[in-house]
Amino acid sequence: MPERKVIVESEVGLHARPAATFVQTAAKAPIDVTVAKPGGAPVSAKSILSILALDVRHGEAIVIHAEGEGADQLLDELAAIVSVA
Amino acid sequence: MTTVLAPVAGSVVGLAAVPDPVFSEGLVGPGTAIDPAREPGKVLAPIDGTILKLHPHAYVIVGEDGRGVLVHLGIDTVQLRGEGFRLLASEGERVRAGQPVVAWNPAAIEAGGRSPVCPVVALDARPGTVSAVVTAGPVRAGDELFQWD
Repeated sequence: MPERKVIVESEVGLHARPAATFVQTAAKAPIDVTVAKPGGAPVSAKSILSILALDVRHGEAIVIHAEGEGADQLLDELAAIVSVA
Repeated sequence: MTTVLAPVAGSVVGLAAVPDPVFSEGLVGPGTAIDPAREPGKVLAPIDGTILKLHPHAYVIVGEDGRGVLVHLGIDTVQLRGEGFRLLASEGERVRAGQPVVAWNPAAIEAGGRSPVCPVVALDARPGTVSAVVTAGPVRAGDELFQWD
């Protein structure tokens, strides 16, 4: 079960540019990708609506989960997007 | 089909004119942008629905069909931390299209060195499903802005 727990370092949280870049990257992948707050319900990482609704703030953790071919590489890419201040 | 109303009065300029690549490159989604009239005013709900997220500088309304529309009040206005914005509705509230959501003054935003331009974006819209009612030029708050098929 490939997943990554990462802290969202961007000043605006997972909103605006980080959110849009995150969703664009996830949407390009042919496999399912979800995001959740730790212990929370996962939502699709391919939906900007779901990501904005998740309302992740600066300094909060998220768990990104993907299954299938290329999952590890995709998770690394997504983790890198939110790890940039 | 969803008819999206203009949340503010002003001039329709299109997303390409927004001085933030996240909008102008269509990364958030398709839609348009309004350069608002420089006078204090109320920003309206663009569709019937529930206020999914309400920040002073931006909000998302989701219709019963699950479609969400983002209204962003100015660029880099998150930095104002709510100063100059007054909430007229609350998160989770059901609103009608045309109902006031936030009060603000675009002239004050501009005086503070930021663009008051308002992107209105169809979230998760499939390519080719959004068509302009007003492509460019003057629009009144509450006028039909674009159609989302």
